[in-house]
Amino acid sequence: MSDLALSKLAAASGMQAQAERLRFVSENIANTDTPGYRRKSVAFEELVEGGRHTGLVETGPVRLDPGVLPRIYDPSHPMADPTGYYDGSNVDLVVEIADAREAQRSYEANLKMFDQARQMSKGLLDLLRR
Amino acid sequence: MDLKSALATQGYISTRPATQPKPEPGGAAAKDTGSFAKVAETLEQTVRNGEQTALDAMTGKADPHALVQALAQTELAVETAVTVRNKVVEAYQEILRMPV
Repeated sequence: MSDLALSKLAAASGMQAQAERLRFVSENIANTDTPGYRRKSVAFEELVEGGRHTGLVETGPVRLDPGVLPRIYDPSHPMADPTGYYDGSNVDLVVEIADAREAQRSYEANLKMFDQARQMSKGLLDLLRR
Repeated sequence: MDLKSALATQGYISTRPATQPKPEPGGAAAKDTGSFAKVAETLEQTVRNGEQTALDAMTGKADPHALVQALAQTELAVETAVTVRNKVVEAYQEILRMPV
C-alpha cells in the first residue's frame, strides 16, 4: 500500500480511537451520580500485527479509576449505611470535560490529516489529467 | 480500382504482425505477471474491499471511520483507473487521427 494510503489508514484508526475515548467520557458523565461508580479510562496503544509495528493506534483495555470514592452524607438515600453515608462516584466533571475537549481536538487533527492525504493523492492524480 | 483495393488489402495484411501481441518469453503457459495485470488486480481488490466495508458498516459490523477510509481509497483507485483509461483512449485517438 502506498504511503498516502497508509497515512489515511492511520488517521482513520486515530479517529476511531478518539471516538472510543469520547464514548467512555460520555459513560462517565452519564454515571456522575451513580453510587459506587468508578471512572473509566482507556490508554492508547500502537497496533502490532504479527510482531510488526503498523503505526496504527487502538485503545487498550478499560481501566477503572482506583481513586477513593467520596462519602456522601444523605440518611434518606436508599443505599446509605447506618451512619447515613453512601459511596458516590469518583467522576470529576471538570476532568471529563477536559478529556472530551482533548478527544475532540485530536479527532479534528486526525480528520485534517485524512483530508490532507486525500488532497495530496488527488493532486498527484490531477497531473495526469492535463 | 480493383488493383488498388487488392494492394491495400495486401498492405494491411503485411502490417498485421506488427500489431499482434508479442508472445510471452516463457510461452503461453507462463503466468501473466505483467505489472498492468497486477494494477488491475489491485484496483479490483480495492473496490471489493470498499463494497465489503460498506456492507459491514450498514449491518453494524464495521465502524464509519473504516467505511470512510475504504470509500476514499476506492474513489481514488477508480479515479486513477479512469484517468489512465482516458489517457490510453486519448493516445489511441491520436493514432487514429494520424494522416496515412
